[in-house]
Amino acid sequence: MMAILREFHPWLKLLIRRRLRFLVGALLVWITLLAGLALLGLSGWFITASALTGIALALGLPARLDVYVPGGGIRFFALVRTVARYIERLYNHNTVLTLLADLRYRVFGFLTRLDDASLHRQRASDWLSRLTADIDTLDNFYLRILVPPVVALLSIAVVALFIAFWLPGVALLMVVTLVPLWFIVTLLAARWGFAQSYQQVVDQQSLRRLVVDQVQASAELMSYQSSPWHRRLIEDQESQALLNQQRLGLKTALINCLVSAITGLLVLAVLWFASFVSSQQLVAAPIVVMVVLIALGVNEVFIALPASFIKLGASYAAVRRLNELTDEPSSIETERALPEGTGLSINATQVSLLYPMSLHPALSDVSFHLPEGKRAVITGKSGAGKSSLASVLVGRLQVTQGAVSVGGIAPWELSSQHRANNFAVLTQQIDLFDASLAENLRIADPSASDATLWKVLTAVALDSWVGGLPNGLDTAVGEKGQQLSGGQARRVALARLMLRNPGLVILDEPFAGVDAETARHIATSLDQWLANRTVIYFVHQLGSLNLLHGVEFHWHLDAGKLQQYLIE
Amino acid sequence: MAIEIEQPLTSKSWLQALAKSERQRLSGAALCGVLAGSQTVILVVGLAWLIDQLVVQARPLIALLPIFALLALSVLMRAVFQWGHETLSLEASLRIRQRARAQVLDKLATLGPVWLASRHSGSLANQVVEHIDALEGYFARFYPQLRITLWLPILILLVVGWLDYLVAIFLLLSAPLIPLFMALVGMGAERLNRDQFVAVSRLSAHFIDRVRGMTTLQLFGHTSAAQRDVWYATDEYRRLSMRTLRLAFLSSAVLEFFASVAIAVVAMYVGFGLLGYIEYGPSPSLTLFSGLAVLLLAPEFFQPLRTLSQHYHDRASALGAAESVVNILNEPGLITDGHETPHVASSLVELVNACVAYPGRGHVVGPLDLTIEQASVIAITGASGSGKSTLLALLAGFISPSSGEYRRHANSQYAWLDQQPCLLHGSLADNLRLASPQASQEQMLAALTRSGFGPLLDQLPDGLETAIGERGIGLSGGQAQRLALARIYLSNAPLVLLDEPTASLDQETERFVITALLQLAQEGRTLVIATHHPAVITAAHRHLVFENGQLREVKE
Repeated sequence: MMAILREFHPWLKLLIRRRLRFLVGALLVWITLLAGLALLGLSGWFITASALTGIALALGLPARLDVYVPGGGIRFFALVRTVARYIERLYNHNTVLTLLADLRYRVFGFLTRLDDASLHRQRASDWLSRLTADIDTLDNFYLRILVPPVVALLSIAVVALFIAFWLPGVALLMVVTLVPLWFIVTLLAARWGFAQSYQQVVDQQSLRRLVVDQVQASAELMSYQSSPWHRRLIEDQESQALLNQQRLGLKTALINCLVSAITGLLVLAVLWFASFVSSQQLVAAPIVVMVVLIALGVNEVFIALPASFIKLGASYAAVRRLNELTDEPSSIETERALPEGTGLSINATQVSLLYPMSLHPALSDVSFHLPEGKRAVITGKSGAGKSSLASVLVGRLQVTQGAVSVGGIAPWELSSQHRANNFAVLTQQIDLFDASLAENLRIADPSASDATLWKVLTAVALDSWVGGLPNGLDTAVGEKGQQLSGGQARRVALARLMLRNPGLVILDEPFAGVDAETARHIATSLDQWLANRTVIYFVHQLGSLNLLHGVEFHWHLDAGKLQQYLIE
Repeated sequence: MAIEIEQPLTSKSWLQALAKSERQRLSGAALCGVLAGSQTVILVVGLAWLIDQLVVQARPLIALLPIFALLALSVLMRAVFQWGHETLSLEASLRIRQRARAQVLDKLATLGPVWLASRHSGSLANQVVEHIDALEGYFARFYPQLRITLWLPILILLVVGWLDYLVAIFLLLSAPLIPLFMALVGMGAERLNRDQFVAVSRLSAHFIDRVRGMTTLQLFGHTSAAQRDVWYATDEYRRLSMRTLRLAFLSSAVLEFFASVAIAVVAMYVGFGLLGYIEYGPSPSLTLFSGLAVLLLAPEFFQPLRTLSQHYHDRASALGAAESVVNILNEPGLITDGHETPHVASSLVELVNACVAYPGRGHVVGPLDLTIEQASVIAITGASGSGKSTLLALLAGFISPSSGEYRRHANSQYAWLDQQPCLLHGSLADNLRLASPQASQEQMLAALTRSGFGPLLDQLPDGLETAIGERGIGLSGGQAQRLALARIYLSNAPLVLLDEPTASLDQETERFVITALLQLAQEGRTLVIATHHPAVITAAHRHLVFENGQLREVKE
């Protein structure tokens, strides 16, 4: 129980931070509910009073009933209920959306602190697609779990106090029935459905993994004729999941059924006791009717509670996954700095890198020296360790063994801002954002003028293409830069790099997807920009050295081991 | 139960077909809902009668005990019917989802590996898992409630009419307004839901986009600015959607207004009637009983519609999900069942004049003629993109020829190995069962030892049960390829198809795999290999070169 609360705690704190909004939102829901009860109760009182007065008048007895005050009251409550409901929905949706911004801001903050290994692991899993769903689950927490039980309890209290004014016994009866019922539909329901609603999330993930397997291994499954075997695995998993959902649904139905029965019987009991008191001439009949009708309406406060609370386990699963992010190791940072804008010498001695949960080192015993301002090329197949080496050199990963120094400092000891200023990397996988071309370029330099942007676009031979676009620099590149071809995206990324002034530049396949003539043009302008900087090219194969100007060193990576080659 | 696909499915027709398959349970659920509603009618009418008896007729409480007991029974009946309503619709929704999922999985099987490889496996899994689950609310809540909304108000109207026809006329007059408002709510909600759906997914995409590019943001020291952007984008979305919500919530406010006004109007009418102020129609004969009963029935008249509008988003999300699933179901299958057996008994696969045209890309490869005899080793070379992979896919039956013939023995097993062997989420043993579900522990160990996986296996405390991949230990490319090799040993399939099996291996593993392949050939297995490795080409019985979509025999 405590462990569960601990997981929820930081998020509840975030939700409750906007206390005033929470209180006003709850108040509005409460007013809506009470206006409904008042409307029903007053109407009952009015009709009964009218009936009794009518009978008295018919019998010729002196009787009078003020019809204007109750009539006005009925109209008033009818209006209040409608208006309050409308405002409440608007207001609370506004709160929910505000909280969504808060939650995303916070989660994004966690993610910015992850190191390369964690990011890589996260990207590999399908965690990304769950991330927004998990945040939405938490977001719903406010309207489904936080507000309704508070409002329910408050409503029960007010109704009981109001009734106690005439019928304290009936009020007590309602309290001793409804308060335990409140516990049943909140805490008990949460507890009862916890394991199963948690399991539901786990099941969904397992099923997802199996389906991903079926898609990814479809070639193997078809050729080995083992599709029926795998399909049975999916079906078994699915029926297990459905059985679990069925049990959870039955529990929800049972609690709903209980609420319906208890609140229904309560109305009958209230009528019985109130009539009993009334028959002793202790309370007027219209009051009895009013109380009965209020008791009839009070079940509305419970309606959504069981279904929300029984699924608390699912929210818990979401919260746990989000909390795992904060548990990821983040890089250590010190305030050491490197001189900017000059080449940096690189020294690697017997460097090994072993990822957690991996049986083979990504880098083993790598040693090399690259003097400042020199250029090197490192060849290797994919998976040979090139990106791991790049991450180590720019301080995004710490080595398991050995030592690396760049400009005399272990790169991972630099602050992230210094690393960004001193190192530039063209990654193998290009990240362009769903924004305009100019915005994508300005990630590298937010203060860059349009003229500067055009200059770097010219350097990568994109100026005439961009110039020909109707929206020029404001052209949207689409999600993942899909509006651009692979080669164009790479050139935009290269142009983006050229807006910076780093001492060490690492370029992973800078000319992939670029035709030969353009590649020569880019190589020339790249050569100028790279002057006085330390440069490492990573390439698959040593196709044409004439694109890689000024390279003096050549190493080859194979299964994490580095070999030296001689350059002609 | 297969649902016939004659014309392109739409999301609506698909949902209807699914609902039809569970018609009995869904109707039962709606019936239970109507019965529960009718118990509520009995309860409130009974309450009104009791109150009248106690207050006006001054009957002693004890004399009314049987009626109290009857109403208590009605309360319990209502609870039971509600239970029936919920459980039946739950059961229907579970079965429908199971059926829908099976349908999509069947479809994926007929689309085959070539089509699947062109899609993002994560989003396909989304469609099979999350999108099918998104149908839940529609079948469990919205669909039965729609039926209830059709029948229950009529029932209530009849009871009200019997009690006081003026009130019934008032409700009836508002009744034509109900479909009108329902349509308004419907249209409003539908448009809103669609807009909201689009806006929400665009916003999520923005967030995911930034998270996906986190490495780049970090590399450029741009994370704080991006974090601020995330907040602003969400807040901007809030501002925009509040504008639409202001209008959208009006439609539900109208329903709320009707329910409230109904109570108010009926209360005023009954009150004045009882006081004798109204001398019109049935008013003089109003009693506390009939007055209270119609008062309590008035909001019940609107209740089903209010519930329906609460479930409206279930319909919207089901339609959204169905649309994406239907897109898959409408894809033309690339695999056709029932091919001929080879005309020559000794050959394993025969291609006669086979062409492959990918839908939308026109003529790609062919016509090809190739016969693969038993125990032959065939090397295929060609520039990347020349069609080697397509030929292998064709031989494997991953894609059917658009014209020409493909002949293979029915149910013949073959082994498959490509550049990046697929690892299942699971244990080493699961990954081996992929090739032979019935394999014993000893057979698996033997296969792993032979593929050079032995030394690694010795390091694993859990042995064959070690979890690998995302949730377990990570394997290098070379280790994964050795595992895939073990699958070939385990399967004993006579034909082995290999697509660049050594292209991304380190030198040591490359040597090992080549030796292993040549050994397989010596053991009499038939090998078709797309490769550039000289040792394999030398050892091959036949060498074919792929050029301009055609095969050319170099060595025979």
